[in-house]
Amino acid sequence: MTGATIDHLVSLTVFLAALLLFIGLFNQTIQTAILYQQHRYIASKATDLLDNILLSPGYPTYWGMTNDAPTSFGLQDPEFTQYRVSPFSLMRLRSLTGEPVVYPKTGLTYSNITMGFGDFLLVPYTEAVNYSTVATLVGTNGSYGFQLNMIPVVTVSISEYQSKNPLILAINVSGKGFPLSGAILSYCFLTVSLTEGEQSYPAYTTQFGNAYTDDKGFAFLQFSGVKDEDVSYALIVYAHLSGLVGVGYHQRVTSDKQYVIPLIDDFATRRVLIAHSYDIHYFGPPNAELSYNATFVLLTEDFTLRELPMENSTGKVGKVNYGEGFPYDTITIPTTNPGILIITYRKSANEGGIILMPWGISSMAFTITFGDNMFGREWVATDIREVIVNDVAYQAKLALWSLQSYQVTGR
Amino acid sequence: MMRTIEILLVIIIITGAFIIASLFTVLPYPRQVSPIDLRRLALTTLQSLDVDHDLSETVFKPSDAASWTDIKIALSASLPPNIVYNLTVYDVLSGNTQLYNATNSISNAASLGVSTAASSYLVASSNVTFSFTPEKIGEHGSGGTLYILNCSDAYGWWITGYTAQKLAEDLYNLLSPYFQATIMVQNTTQLGNILDNNTISSSPYEKVANAVVINTNGEAVPIPSGYYTVNGSQDSYAKYNYILGQRVRQYNWTWVSIVGYPLYYVSNTALFPNDQNTWGIYGMQQVGPAGLNSFLQGLDNQQYVYNPNWITADLSDSVYLSPEAIYYCNYYGIYPSYYQTASRALTTSILTTYHLDVPTYIFNPAEGYIAGAVYRNAVSGAFLALGLTRTPDIRLTALGLLDYYKPRLYRSDYTTVGTSKLVILQLGQMGGM
Repeated sequence: MTGATIDHLVSLTVFLAALLLFIGLFNQTIQTAILYQQHRYIASKATDLLDNILLSPGYPTYWGMTNDAPTSFGLQDPEFTQYRVSPFSLMRLRSLTGEPVVYPKTGLTYSNITMGFGDFLLVPYTEAVNYSTVATLVGTNGSYGFQLNMIPVVTVSISEYQSKNPLILAINVSGKGFPLSGAILSYCFLTVSLTEGEQSYPAYTTQFGNAYTDDKGFAFLQFSGVKDEDVSYALIVYAHLSGLVGVGYHQRVTSDKQYVIPLIDDFATRRVLIAHSYDIHYFGPPNAELSYNATFVLLTEDFTLRELPMENSTGKVGKVNYGEGFPYDTITIPTTNPGILIITYRKSANEGGIILMPWGISSMAFTITFGDNMFGREWVATDIREVIVNDVAYQAKLALWSLQSYQVTGR
Repeated sequence: MMRTIEILLVIIIITGAFIIASLFTVLPYPRQVSPIDLRRLALTTLQSLDVDHDLSETVFKPSDAASWTDIKIALSASLPPNIVYNLTVYDVLSGNTQLYNATNSISNAASLGVSTAASSYLVASSNVTFSFTPEKIGEHGSGGTLYILNCSDAYGWWITGYTAQKLAEDLYNLLSPYFQATIMVQNTTQLGNILDNNTISSSPYEKVANAVVINTNGEAVPIPSGYYTVNGSQDSYAKYNYILGQRVRQYNWTWVSIVGYPLYYVSNTALFPNDQNTWGIYGMQQVGPAGLNSFLQGLDNQQYVYNPNWITADLSDSVYLSPEAIYYCNYYGIYPSYYQTASRALTTSILTTYHLDVPTYIFNPAEGYIAGAVYRNAVSGAFLALGLTRTPDIRLTALGLLDYYKPRLYRSDYTTVGTSKLVILQLGQMGGM
């Protein structure tokens, strides 16, 4: 009798232990499967959201070219179909990565999409579309977070191979890890002339030309007119091959402490403010007047660059200074087509430089990162598309994650 | 002891069940859970390569053409490094058995791996021409006659850079395929004839009633001598414009003003040899804003009252094509600039004053003004006005009229055989789990 009882107790204990163990094992398998299913759903959501953003222009249709806030969000170029993205709508997205800039003379904070010294794109927060608005418009607010990256497919990097007499610039064109050999290069080379005296506006000369990259994606451009290192210049290069178009730019300035900074003021009227850099970076005194001379270049349909002269009435030349009593200047972009605003400036008889600003994000192939920070998220699904932004090839990459917990256990 | 053995047997059975279940419960690799949509990536890559028709041109070239190397380089450069591809071009055949025949293939890998996706893209040869046959306005109803004022004895104003005759010629080329009869009104005498309900050509299709009349003289309007001069001279010929409005109503015309302030001057070189429009153009007399007010009174069959008030505004911002106009830009293949400067935009108050509705907006209304639209009177007659700044763009006139009448385009049939190729881009993902 005792033996049977012990047998019963041992068998029952072992049975219950085994049962609990197997319930745990099965449960773990089921949990993993559910988790995978949820991840799969996020991936589908990422694909859908990316297509929704890229295949709709939003509403109002031309919201990128106005000061209106969109009531429906989309980035498609309203003049095209398929995956063609508006360069102006992208310009109105508030950058996630750039350090915001405060300009006391307007009292506004500016979204900073600047790509380095001399290549500015500053959009006032009042005109830029922020992430929470977009998240609400696309229906992800509170349920999903996302980050959208617009990255140029073609990288055109320019460096000085020889600094003077003659100036030789090395240009390297590459795609996603593969050089673009045999690519046609169209370039615009601007040099600043400061020889007219300290009080005059800086003059500039433009030189347009074409070249080809070699097997390794390199090309060397020689400018025999640059005989000294104190010559300020800018080179803008468009590279294209079989539908792929990329943009590169490079400047050398002789005054990198005091310079002009363009800030977008109004999209609808295409008004741009010209500020003194001391007003933004809080240097000085003493006051240091800068004179400037602005021009605008367009990329034409045959991939050549064309200068679009600005009228004096739109603010072609002017002078700006730092501090109170010295207001900013304004200029008006002469066209609604994308292009590059080029501002030559002079600090003194032998110091000056060139500042570039894209009008339409693609003109200088700026990279945009928009959305929320994905650091520390449990599972991030990504999807990519090749898109065209005003003929320039970009890769649109969307990262999406859930803002709700996934863990089945302890949920 | 027996129970313990039985339990051990049960444990073995459950273990077996778990192992068997685990064999069937194969969880996918992370890459399969959250994949890059290779099919979409392939499609968008093909579209990028064809953005300037480079792909379309290359696929019709022999496989040893240099541009195939460019396509290879562009493909490798545009795709992420871990993506391999195979691009195959097929001829489209007409045979009953085989529809496609591969003509060329390029790839950057011997194998695309186990998981691939492909997209297809149909390209047409650049040598192919497509034709269409437009439906004629009036073909299935009344009207169908287009009168273009090409008066040799009248001058234009605010058509800087053009002559009325040149504009008339361009409008003829652009619009005559859409009308049953397109008649050039060669002088003010002929204009007087159609105002008197007489035809002026031998065309059997010419009908005065329900016609469209385009005034190519800009802000000026030709005036015939005789009845219209005698009875229309009141108030610096504002009364003539009133009669003109009455005729538009009487014959259910669509009167078209291509630029500027409509009917601001009257012109006849024989009638006004010594008069000028205050800007030095002889053969012309200024009516002023009363011209348009009088016309609208006549169109609405109101009592004639001299009204010299301006009813237009100079808009500070650009005006943009309406969504409907943009749609018809694509439909008819007419592409004027989608934004314009409007310094003579008409106030919306005329809609109620003169019982007009707007079936067609060429430009979006802005600030209570309309820069371009077709206004239709509640009873009869219509008026297309483009209150834009000079110089005129007659494509906008054509777009407005086509948008208003909406003639259909019958595309000609064409076969894909020999003129089209099918391009398949297959992508595979290398590395990773």
